[in-house]
Amino acid sequence: MTDRPVNDIVGTRRGSWHVGLLLVAAPVLLVFWLIIYPIISAIIRTVWLPTEGGGHSFSLETYLFFFSDRYSLNNLGITLWTTGVCAILLLLVCLPIALYLRFSNSRISAYVQGLAIFPMFVPSIILSYAFIRVLGPNGTVDLLLNSVGLPRIRSPYLTPWGPVIGLVWDHIPLTVLILLAGLGNVTNQSIEAARDVGARSWNVLWHIILPRISNSILVATSFSVLGIFSAFTLPYVLGPAAPEMMGPFMQRTFRELFDPQNAITQAVVAFLFCIVFGLFYVRSVAKNRKA
Amino acid sequence: MKRRDFMISAGAVAAGLTLAPRMAFAAPGTIDWFTSSDQNVLDFWTNVVKPKFEAANPGVTLNLVDGQDNAGLQAIAERAQAALGTNADPQVDIFEGFDARQPVGAREAGLWTDVTGLSNYSKINPLAIQLDGLPENLPYRGSQVLLAYDTTKLAAADVPKTWDELITWIKANPGQFIYNRPNKGGSGGNFVRRAIYAANGNDISKFKVDNFTAEAGAAALDPAWAILNDLAPSLFDGGAYTSGNTQSIQLLGQSAVTMIPAWSDQALAAIASGALPETTGLVQLSDLGFPGNFSRMTIPVNGVNHDLAMKLADFVLTEEIQTAVLTELGGFPGVSWDHIDPALREKFKDVIPDSIPVFPGGDWEKAINENWYRAVAPNVDPAS
Repeated sequence: MTDRPVNDIVGTRRGSWHVGLLLVAAPVLLVFWLIIYPIISAIIRTVWLPTEGGGHSFSLETYLFFFSDRYSLNNLGITLWTTGVCAILLLLVCLPIALYLRFSNSRISAYVQGLAIFPMFVPSIILSYAFIRVLGPNGTVDLLLNSVGLPRIRSPYLTPWGPVIGLVWDHIPLTVLILLAGLGNVTNQSIEAARDVGARSWNVLWHIILPRISNSILVATSFSVLGIFSAFTLPYVLGPAAPEMMGPFMQRTFRELFDPQNAITQAVVAFLFCIVFGLFYVRSVAKNRKA
Repeated sequence: MKRRDFMISAGAVAAGLTLAPRMAFAAPGTIDWFTSSDQNVLDFWTNVVKPKFEAANPGVTLNLVDGQDNAGLQAIAERAQAALGTNADPQVDIFEGFDARQPVGAREAGLWTDVTGLSNYSKINPLAIQLDGLPENLPYRGSQVLLAYDTTKLAAADVPKTWDELITWIKANPGQFIYNRPNKGGSGGNFVRRAIYAANGNDISKFKVDNFTAEAGAAALDPAWAILNDLAPSLFDGGAYTSGNTQSIQLLGQSAVTMIPAWSDQALAAIASGALPETTGLVQLSDLGFPGNFSRMTIPVNGVNHDLAMKLADFVLTEEIQTAVLTELGGFPGVSWDHIDPALREKFKDVIPDSIPVFPGGDWEKAINENWYRAVAPNVDPAS
């Protein structure tokens, strides 16, 4: 008598593997056609430049220009700065909200959740003009401060802080939802157990909660970073004229300077930065699958 | 109805709605009209031109479509060009705010109709024809950038009337003036162009669509960047630039600044809608006005309703509509002032331009859009 593999007992049908592949074929082909192929073609277009004789040759000219041009580097710098500041602020703002929503049983928490999700339903162009009304010069905040005899704020409108405030507000819902989902992994029992042995709230947060949701924090951060890095409307309306974030910079290079070569180069540079965070996300999903 | 059934039917309706416009065909008697202009122009057509034209031509409907911007119209024009010589329906009859020079090669391919044969064509302001000159372009309204200011903070008698007075005023009142980035809207764009004229002795003949070279560009533009850099510390927030015409108007409306450059038609529409208060004053510089231009309509030869489109174009040049351009839209008529009610001519005499400087597009525009960002926007002191 020979040992038979276990899967024979559960009865896996032979030949069914290709049904699964067939099911994923459509989305995979779509991803290849709409995403992978354009990426490859864009990279080729930036290094395989037309020569004067009408032919093409390999050249890194556009990349050399980008990385030697003070103006382009400043734009990349402000984009990285905005993305970093936004990611930190988002965690600082959203983690307390998510913790409150997870552990509160009061009726108010439903309203807090509603408020936290609300930005998802506000288009960013409307948010931008509302921002000018509220935080702009002589806006609502100035009027309120003035009515109690306080001096006016220095408005963040048209400074790098304008897009930061707008982008953080815009990304609160997604971050809160992902963190909240992660907090679902933290059982009440584990917290009660820690409390029973005398752990303080800070210890519970640091030793029990954060290790459990570190994965969610990573996913939430990569999601917001990817969105913020390529943001267009908010930096365009609320940010300073220069330095520009990569989104408006690419659009201006492409549509107003009629310079697709450099616009695509900027896009490839932005893509290389984004792919790092994309890999973080993919890695954490893969890790989750194994667990 | 069960929730699931409801979701399925709602989804089906939504899917149907997204598909519907793609399957639409141009209907006889329905003129498909596309615009690249702002909302105020679309409102003007919706509220004034459409009802009047439909009343005058029973059975005809105007389908007004917002083509978003010039690139949007270009895509539709390319579709019409591709349909040339075939029986395919381009689904467009007339363009507003377009130029027959686009798309490249369309004019040579015979896409655009020669409109010089229209019965009202002879009424068009010779200035508009002189500025343009293409028989396929129909100029029908003009607008020009002027200064909008808050009369509660600045009396009409003290308003700067020349470029030099304006510069002096901006420097004497730091933080009270802002203009938008030149590529993000014509009000700031033409303020920058006026600075370029000022840096070149107000000689408008120096700039032509085909005379740009790198050397001429540097010689003509660098002094203008010096003027604008010198001005930057006196602007709002020590050198901030809004990202569009509307945002500048919003800042003036919030009383954050005292004066902005604005399009004549947008400023008048903003005052009418309350976005700018009644106390807003408008003034044009007298030494040389801010640049402006005429907006044109173009008609593809292969539209299904070509004859009706020609009728519409002729209708727009009648005194009735041209008067409305002045009174309702706040633009300048495309026809000569002789064809406008004398009472109105008297009323608007302050904003009637006898010359509109037109700055060429093409390579000049590209150079301005690129170099302003590098030379002026970063607010770096050139001396440091």
